[in-house]
Amino acid sequence: MNERPPASRTRFGVGLLLGLVVALGGGWALLRGARAQLEDDWITRRAIVAANALGALVGQAPDDAAVRKAVTAWQETHPPGTRVRVIRGTTLEASTEPADTGEKAAPRRLAREEKPLYDQAQRLRAGVDTNREGGAPKPELEVEREGGARRVAVPLEADGKVTGMVHVLVPADASTGRRSPLQAVLLLFGAMLLYVLGAWLLPPRAALLAVASTALFCLAAAFFVGGELRALGLAERDGQRALAGTVAAEVDRTRTLTGAATLDGGAWDTDLTRKPRGLITGAGAIDREKGEAEAQEIRRRALRSLMALGALGFVLLVVVGFGGANRVGRALVSNRQAYAYIAPAIIGTTLLVFFPFFYGIALSFTDSNIYNTNLPLSELWVGLRNYGTILGDFGVVRRAADGHWVFNYLNFYWTFLFTVIWTITNVVWGVSFGLLLALVLNTKGLALRPIYRVLLILPWAMPNYITALIWKGMFHRQFGVVNQVLAIFGFEPLSWFDRPFTSFLTALATNGWLSFPFMMVVSLGALQSIPADLYEAARVDGASRWQQFRAITLPSLKPALVPAVILSVVWTFNMFNIIYLVTAGEPGGSTEILITQAYKYAFQRYQYGYAAAYATIIFAILLVYGTIQNRVTRATEAL
Amino acid sequence: MAGSHREERTPHWILHAFLVATVIYTVYPVLWVITIALSGKQSLAIADLPADPTKLDRARAVLPWPTRFAFSNFISVMTDQPFARWMLNSAIVAIGATIVGVALSCTAAYAFSRFKFPGRRFGMMSFLVSQMFPGTLTLIPLYIIIVQWLGLGSTLSGLVIVYATTSIPFSVWMLKGYFDTIPKELEEAAVMEGAGPGKIFWSIVLPLAKPAIAITALFSFMTGWNEFIQAATFMDKEDMYTAPVGLRFFVGGFQQQWGYFAAGSIIVSIPVVLLFLYLQKYLVSGLTAGSVKG
Amino acid sequence: MRNLLVVLAAVVGVVVPGTAAAQAKLVAWHSYRGGEKSAFEKVVAAYNARPDTKIKVDPLAVPFDAFADKISAAVPRGKGPDIFIYAQDRMGGWVEAGNTVEPIDFYVDDALKGRFIPTTVEALTYRGNLYGLPLDYKVIALIHNKKLLKTPPKTTGELVKVAQGLTSKGAGKFGLAWSYGDFYYVASLLNGFGGGVFDKSTRPTMNAPENVKALELLVKWEKAGFMPAEPSSALITSLFNEEKAPMVFSGPWFLGEVASGIDYGVAPLPTIDEAGGKPMRPWMTVEGVFVSAQSQHKDAAFEFAKYVTGAEAGKVMALEGRQSPALKAVYDDPKVQADPVLSAFRKQVEVAVPMPNVAEMTMMWSPATTALNKVNAGNSPKEAMDVAQKALQKDVDALRKKK
Repeated sequence: MNERPPASRTRFGVGLLLGLVVALGGGWALLRGARAQLEDDWITRRAIVAANALGALVGQAPDDAAVRKAVTAWQETHPPGTRVRVIRGTTLEASTEPADTGEKAAPRRLAREEKPLYDQAQRLRAGVDTNREGGAPKPELEVEREGGARRVAVPLEADGKVTGMVHVLVPADASTGRRSPLQAVLLLFGAMLLYVLGAWLLPPRAALLAVASTALFCLAAAFFVGGELRALGLAERDGQRALAGTVAAEVDRTRTLTGAATLDGGAWDTDLTRKPRGLITGAGAIDREKGEAEAQEIRRRALRSLMALGALGFVLLVVVGFGGANRVGRALVSNRQAYAYIAPAIIGTTLLVFFPFFYGIALSFTDSNIYNTNLPLSELWVGLRNYGTILGDFGVVRRAADGHWVFNYLNFYWTFLFTVIWTITNVVWGVSFGLLLALVLNTKGLALRPIYRVLLILPWAMPNYITALIWKGMFHRQFGVVNQVLAIFGFEPLSWFDRPFTSFLTALATNGWLSFPFMMVVSLGALQSIPADLYEAARVDGASRWQQFRAITLPSLKPALVPAVILSVVWTFNMFNIIYLVTAGEPGGSTEILITQAYKYAFQRYQYGYAAAYATIIFAILLVYGTIQNRVTRATEAL
Repeated sequence: MAGSHREERTPHWILHAFLVATVIYTVYPVLWVITIALSGKQSLAIADLPADPTKLDRARAVLPWPTRFAFSNFISVMTDQPFARWMLNSAIVAIGATIVGVALSCTAAYAFSRFKFPGRRFGMMSFLVSQMFPGTLTLIPLYIIIVQWLGLGSTLSGLVIVYATTSIPFSVWMLKGYFDTIPKELEEAAVMEGAGPGKIFWSIVLPLAKPAIAITALFSFMTGWNEFIQAATFMDKEDMYTAPVGLRFFVGGFQQQWGYFAAGSIIVSIPVVLLFLYLQKYLVSGLTAGSVKG
Repeated sequence: MRNLLVVLAAVVGVVVPGTAAAQAKLVAWHSYRGGEKSAFEKVVAAYNARPDTKIKVDPLAVPFDAFADKISAAVPRGKGPDIFIYAQDRMGGWVEAGNTVEPIDFYVDDALKGRFIPTTVEALTYRGNLYGLPLDYKVIALIHNKKLLKTPPKTTGELVKVAQGLTSKGAGKFGLAWSYGDFYYVASLLNGFGGGVFDKSTRPTMNAPENVKALELLVKWEKAGFMPAEPSSALITSLFNEEKAPMVFSGPWFLGEVASGIDYGVAPLPTIDEAGGKPMRPWMTVEGVFVSAQSQHKDAAFEFAKYVTGAEAGKVMALEGRQSPALKAVYDDPKVQADPVLSAFRKQVEVAVPMPNVAEMTMMWSPATTALNKVNAGNSPKEAMDVAQKALQKDVDALRKKK
């Protein structure tokens, strides 16, 4: 009993230390990366301004000779590391690269190794054309990093048509200093020192320690965050000023080169689709509002990440402080044999299943599609919008003009309902028929049992691609076997794939045939675990066959059958092959199940984020089912 | 005693009638596959109806009897491409996946069944949960893991890993359920005699769990034997293809050669049937001896 | 110690020459089988045997069903082939996904482009850039049983008359058998009337009046009763082979399934009287030789592409592989000219329309097939295509909206 007080002092101390390391250390590292990124972005923006100015200058040049003059003049008025290349079609029109002199002087045809430049010019042209037509937005200029320098490519326009590309290398300019970690380290030490002092002085009660460590943590974090955000704001303001300076300089130089009276330099500060960002006015001054808004945005994003880290650190503090880590450690050690047994299986499953799974969930919160795969996921974030669109659409059925019901088969709820019906009917049939066959085949003294067993697993043994298509062929209206049999008995042949219900029956027949062998084998195996003398005793007691079944067979089968049933439900719910091969969703998409819809959204409509949301919803539905089923049957408990 | 004469026993002929009807229902589409394979032609046979079909004509059309017996499809399948090599690859992969899968599942299921440790229920649920995420959308992430990160593209071991992992969840559940029915008293008796955990596992628990192991072995084998898209995507060399990949050559794209595909399907199904014949006896062995009383 | 040195020396002696002998190779993926496969391998062998071939080509057959997935998975990650041969329908998607196909305009001058049938080059051009050299094309034409039908009809009016004359429902005979439940085939009517699925800016035009008129013509044909119900490709093949259907609209893939003993002829599709005599314009599937964007030997890959789409290789692929090469010069060869099938398809391709290669094509099939099924089941073409238009427009817009 008297051991606990010193332990909890250390525990809170360790917790506070870990928490501060995560929050302050992690925060500092995060912000360092963010600051480097911001600086990079400013350099890029300044380079884009220079490139756009150059592009405008060259675009004005009336002929090739004028282009070369303009380029040379540009080179002279810019820092020595600048390099310019103008490409039109497969010709290098002008170049200030030192290698392009003498034999290789412009104008000349591009060499084989310069194909990437040609392709780049084509990409920019395609981008400009697409954006003009209103298609999915595409970049109209491209930026590559080379250390601190930037290679920017802008399209060259003449008479409204893109004829080539201007490619400029903007050398690196001086970078701002790095912020030292001194403040973070000082705060960490200060907080720990205060804690040690307090722990020594204060009575060692858990509540007091908790309050003290929490207070110290929050104070340290608050100081840290405040300082960092202020530094960020200052850096942002510096960046804006530098940008304005660059714009003013470029406007000046271009004016001297072309003699134009007024130039809107602010329009040169654009994003990748050459849309002006509006931060700099035409005169080269900073738009107050826009500047403030941009700075706010940066600060907000930084604050969000810092809060997340702070929360994490706080959680660590609480968990370690109240002994959670200690408990986990002890459990690991005492059960190490069990964990060793299950480790390989769990690791394999985690890696191969959960990694794609978490990627899918992340994708579901974005608007990722085939046109924006090169953008980072953070820019495509739409939160819960995909889920809202899927789950919020209740328009399953409406009345058409002539009074009959029109179903919207693409609707989630219709597909969900159909999938549920599909799953229930299939599993009920598969389990019942499989169990029945197993019981029959388990009869003592029945002849020819091995032969029956082998013949009855044939549906499972054959590749289901061909058997599914044979079943589909059996339902052909004119020549299908099923209709022939109907005709023999005097019925009218049916057009099976014309109505949702009959189409559903074809898929049910096929999957019913395919699925019962597996359940039969599982049931057969499960029946073996029931000792025969139980039945003997029951018979002696006068129990009927049905009573024996209910009292002995069913409960004994539960541990083996219930997992098989749950997994069968999960597999049938996601049974892609059969629906795809037999009905293909006909008629009109009414026999699609959720998984085939998700597949179509991903691979036909190329809406990856939406399809990922669909798949996550499927998963959630099955998870709810699995949890409920487990609770109801207590399958995870031993007998 | 006197009561045993009053016992209800369904006459065997009723059971046989039921089984025969079921067998006909089961085997009928398979007979069509055999008919197409033996027909020597390539079309997915449609019922051949003369003008104004009578009931007899219809009945004949419904019967999957080949009009001619030709083995040309079978011969072409085996000789026109390295089908035997592909089947060997499939066998290696499936057997490897079975051994790895069953071994890992047995140990894990034993732990889940016999030990009580924190995270036990969560672990079992996570196996179940891992089956719930739709698999058709995971081809590219799997490719990244197996081929890019692990560098196991075009190797049989890459496929073995994927297939074994796919079959583990069901196997663990099945085996755990079965292990749960084996009375702990047997093991406790063995512990008292001084046997170690390994010996207990091998000589007491495993023999009693033969049916479950047979089921999981069959299931793991089938998972590895019939899988197409992952094998086709991970393999970049023709002699590394597996049998399902080889089969798909016959029916993709514009031209469908159903005769070859049917013959190939039959050839591919034979090992599975043989495996089942072998595993049957384990499937029906069990606790009939009442070994608890001891 | 000495033993160790010996072993080391042996290992080095084996490994070093081995690595020195390991040369660069160009890997080429294709999905050919049978005759086409052996013809292609012959072409590759001839290319490898040439003295000025710097890097040899190693072909690999991949099942068609897995081809596109394999390319999408392997190529962007640097693990795919250097060259691959595939149809143009997935090209738009690959270009948009990036890092898959390499644009080849830089290597191609107008002279090279001019060697091919112009529409085949158009089929492999996306947003003004050429991404592959056309290898061969496939179009549907009118295939007829010469015994049952000596001269094939030239106009749709003739077609209806001839077909009705040769139909006898009771005997299971139909004048014309074709997959009119498959939108790919019916597109020949839609294009013939001047309609189509996308306009130049990739906006859907499903409910254009020309499309509706084409479908109304199809309904007229169905009501006339000379086509079988629920036409699956297996049914059409068996009807033709049992001489119960003298006319079939299908492509070169069908010819491989024709029973021996049937004397068949290939003729151009009839002109449409209802459209003022304009010809039926089937969709052209063009197989292109693509260079992978991640290839380490792009120049050499392009050299091979040039060879395999050249005249020498084209003759082998045409005469032995039974392909229809896209190179114009192949058809000047007397052996090719004497081949009635190749000449017939060459004539047909003059009026064929390249199937759109835009990424949005994959989302067109579903609403189009649904609309076609509705029309075949008796619903109004205009309504069905209106619904299809709305569905397709919704999917296209979903990709274009900015956040």
